[in-house]
Amino acid sequence: MAYKPNLQRTWWLQHRFFRAYMLREATVLPLVFLLCSLLAGAYSLASTEAFIAWQEFMAKPWVIVIHALALLASLYHALTFFQLFPRVMPIRLGDKSVPAAVMIAAQWAGTVTVIALFLWLFGGGL
Amino acid sequence: MHKDIQIKRYLPEEHAEPFWQTFHVPYDDTTSILDALNYIKEELDPTVSFRWSCRMAICGSCGYMVNGIPKLGCKDFVRNYPSALHIEPLAHFTVERDLMVAMDEFLQHLEAVKPYLIAEQPEPTEPHKPHRQTPAQLAKYKQFANCINCGLCYAACPQFGLNPEFVGPGAIALAHRYNLDSRDHGKVERMPVLNTHNGVWSCTFVGFCSDVCPKGVDPAAAVNQGKVESAKSMLIQMFRGGA
Repeated sequence: MAYKPNLQRTWWLQHRFFRAYMLREATVLPLVFLLCSLLAGAYSLASTEAFIAWQEFMAKPWVIVIHALALLASLYHALTFFQLFPRVMPIRLGDKSVPAAVMIAAQWAGTVTVIALFLWLFGGGL
Repeated sequence: MHKDIQIKRYLPEEHAEPFWQTFHVPYDDTTSILDALNYIKEELDPTVSFRWSCRMAICGSCGYMVNGIPKLGCKDFVRNYPSALHIEPLAHFTVERDLMVAMDEFLQHLEAVKPYLIAEQPEPTEPHKPHRQTPAQLAKYKQFANCINCGLCYAACPQFGLNPEFVGPGAIALAHRYNLDSRDHGKVERMPVLNTHNGVWSCTFVGFCSDVCPKGVDPAAAVNQGKVESAKSMLIQMFRGGA
């Protein structure tokens, strides 16, 4: 005789660690909305009226809020991803392993470089 | 000082369902959870059942859920719980009696990944020589070799809770440990187990297994390094026409 407790659907609410994990996974939701918006933009290029309608849609306050949320979500996801990366892809140079902090800093440096490059290309300089 | 400790009891010959029982236990700063359980068994109720052996976090027998978190009873202290203290059997395993769980599922997964050194096949004909290993070769797998098979990582893993067929963090960490060992030639035998959906790919990197590991093994890192190896192994099979 024995029993086995079933894992409840609310398992992820029971601990701070699991809630943080679910938050990390949920960052995909606003990003899906952003990607759908961009996809709709690509399709709208077929006609002038559709493109103007799409531009109006993109200017709606609630759309801007969700897109701002997508930016925050992707930054949070990047934070968690950068922290996990050294554990998944440890780099060894000769006999020494590269410290995790160096790898995390290098990834953030790369992110800042790409942002600066895009600002320079599309924002008319820094 | 005294503490009310609640234990989730399961006595199948007396009660069909598990139930909570409270024990009033004296403690000081040096009282471990295991010391408290031994006090209960010796002084208050000899029917309370739990596993333990070494008292020094090396045998891996005394894993319990302490306030919902997997812990080794000998490595955790009553003083860490100033308010309530609830002790339950390890999550995601079948409970046989009180705090004792059946480890069969874990052991089956462990056996499946062949966690031991496998010799080159066919074995070299020249006389056996010692397997020399440099400190750098040792450093590659040493962290993963500290696993004591306590099962805390399985109790922490919601993916194992949802799907008991998942090979799980502990067994995959040991598979990875032997795959990284320069003396081993068994990777080709282990990868088919890791490459399946129930192998490394069931892991979603919750990462709680590494948080609860009492030996700092970081099984989540092993599983996810295993994904990189699995992807490589599957690509190689594809190009060889074996997939």
